[in-house]
Amino acid sequence: MREMYIHSASSFIGEETTDSISLKEKLSSYTEENFRRVNRFILLTLLGARQCVHNHVLDFDTAIYLTTEHGNLGETASVLDEIYAAGSLPKPFGFINTMSNTAAFYLARNLGVRGRNIMVSSQHLSFERGLELLQVDFALGATGNALIGGVDEALLSRIALEEQTDRVFKMVNGSGWLYIRPGKDGACGEISEIRSFSDGHACIKWLTERGESQVDVVSFGALIDADEAAAMKEILHPLAEFDYLGDYGYSGSATACGLGLFITLFHGKTLLHINRDQRGHFAVIEVDRY
Amino acid sequence: MTCSLGDSLEEIVDAVRHQRIRIERVPFTLASLPYSKPYYLIERNVADKLHNRSEEYFYEVLFSAVSRAFLDAGLDRTEIRDMNVFFGSTSMDVPVFEGSHRKSSSTVAGIFLRSSYGYGKIAGAIVERFGIAGNCYSFATACTSSANALLYAAAMIEEGLIARALVVGYDLFNNLGFYGFEALKSIAETDYRPFDRTRDGLILGEACGAVILEGKRRKTGDFMCLGGANLCDTYSVTSHDEEGFAVAETMNRALGQAGILPGDICAVKAHATGTENNDRTECAAMRVTFGCEMPPVTCLKPFIGHTVGACGVNELILFTESVKTGFVPSTPGFREVDDKLNLTPLTENMEAGEGIFMLNYFGFGGNCTTLVISNKGDRE
Repeated sequence: MREMYIHSASSFIGEETTDSISLKEKLSSYTEENFRRVNRFILLTLLGARQCVHNHVLDFDTAIYLTTEHGNLGETASVLDEIYAAGSLPKPFGFINTMSNTAAFYLARNLGVRGRNIMVSSQHLSFERGLELLQVDFALGATGNALIGGVDEALLSRIALEEQTDRVFKMVNGSGWLYIRPGKDGACGEISEIRSFSDGHACIKWLTERGESQVDVVSFGALIDADEAAAMKEILHPLAEFDYLGDYGYSGSATACGLGLFITLFHGKTLLHINRDQRGHFAVIEVDRY
Repeated sequence: MTCSLGDSLEEIVDAVRHQRIRIERVPFTLASLPYSKPYYLIERNVADKLHNRSEEYFYEVLFSAVSRAFLDAGLDRTEIRDMNVFFGSTSMDVPVFEGSHRKSSSTVAGIFLRSSYGYGKIAGAIVERFGIAGNCYSFATACTSSANALLYAAAMIEEGLIARALVVGYDLFNNLGFYGFEALKSIAETDYRPFDRTRDGLILGEACGAVILEGKRRKTGDFMCLGGANLCDTYSVTSHDEEGFAVAETMNRALGQAGILPGDICAVKAHATGTENNDRTECAAMRVTFGCEMPPVTCLKPFIGHTVGACGVNELILFTESVKTGFVPSTPGFREVDDKLNLTPLTENMEAGEGIFMLNYFGFGGNCTTLVISNKGDRE
């Protein structure tokens, strides 16, 4: 696969009750811009991404890939109530903010970048699919540097997850980001593998056949059950499991947050993150932290 | 494809050829406003009229369009199973929630939040219905959503990462969009007139289009995507820089990705929303890109309306199917040149054969996407 070097990472995880005022206050540490008419999803996007790149000068051409399970659906619900309950036309900026790519727009404008600007979603595997798009853009030379993140609010994440697993997590607002470049100079890690499998057997087979390559740390997505995790650990013999969901909480963008946390916490280690969706598709991301 | 012109490609192309257009008017009943605005609605049975629509209707329109695309491409069961799904929409399943609300006493937000499984839900329904085992990618970049779905499906095939893709653009009528664009004062009073001096806004439309992309042509005349580009114009969340530089840069990068020069373009399908800002920006950008050698320009929204995130796929189908039958469509509604734009789109159908064409799409959030397609012989 095309080299994808991680030059910085972040993971903003906020309590379910985190409001826009406190997010704006935190954001003011990273930018002087005063954001008006923006909602919690947009602020989460800005905060996580700004934390990720606050020590970097970005190229004008830097691309932004925003992945999300639910995006601005919280704002959408409010605007629908304006129309149906209040019987009025929606407020213009409320309507515009129902389009989740506005978050990626505000981020691009704030960072002064004008590269690709993509918002993609794929049930439970949104971040993995975003990385695949980035990989293609790197291969085609369409993107030089990229900021890729996953952002989701707690409330919507809770409703969606409750129907799909019995596992209970603390719900959080999550915004996890990686700043990725094709060059190794100055990198703190790299994404050395992104793989998708149409079922668990194919994933297990690949894990078995990947040889003696040492895995220091494994982590699992929310829909991987205990038996599946045990079977995979039996194959991989990792030195440790990073239970970021148990330790830090769940959002629809937990994978992005988990990878951001790994970069921060596990210097000199290799991570294999294994995730699955409700269809039984699996995805693996391997990250080396230098 | 299903749109206001019907669901038979032959009938749709015939309607385009003869400029037969069907627009209805929809009142703003929920807001008690004393007027209505035009809308390009899909013609359906009485049971499926706006106030009666259900979740079943939503998925029936979607699955029907996808089934017809499979049939048209001649795919067998294995080919369908192994494909990947790229979905683009602005409204996603908001129409479903609105339908549920009409049958419930709960607040909209209550229903919406309880039933929301996120943006990936519709693509998930497609793979479940058709037994597709590939990956799903749902794009939500406003009016460029399904254009970006096309861009990435083509790129993944080009890179050899996937063999085949189903790309769907789907936006059904919803009050969120209709009332929202009215709140922005963007909806025209009666007629769609992009680039015209008297243009007064956009007219929304609903459509569902599905295309199959592969690495090789199946039939003579099939189009291939030579390249494309996407960039963000950070000028404003609702409009683009009127000088058109970011939009022009998108066009130029798409040309570069396709490995061709501006002079190779036989015709441009403009985004042409008919709003003051879009048309001015797009015109300026085309002048930056093409200089004095402006290719013929066509605008397709006056045929099926602005189908927002679905316009990427649906305008691609409208354009390519028209060219396959020998013409680039004219632009209905254009009467008077705007001196500030100095651009006259095609006012008569233009004979078309083999060639390279540019398709432009722009959206809120500064999103700009250009695709370059060709029906010429296979590229070396």
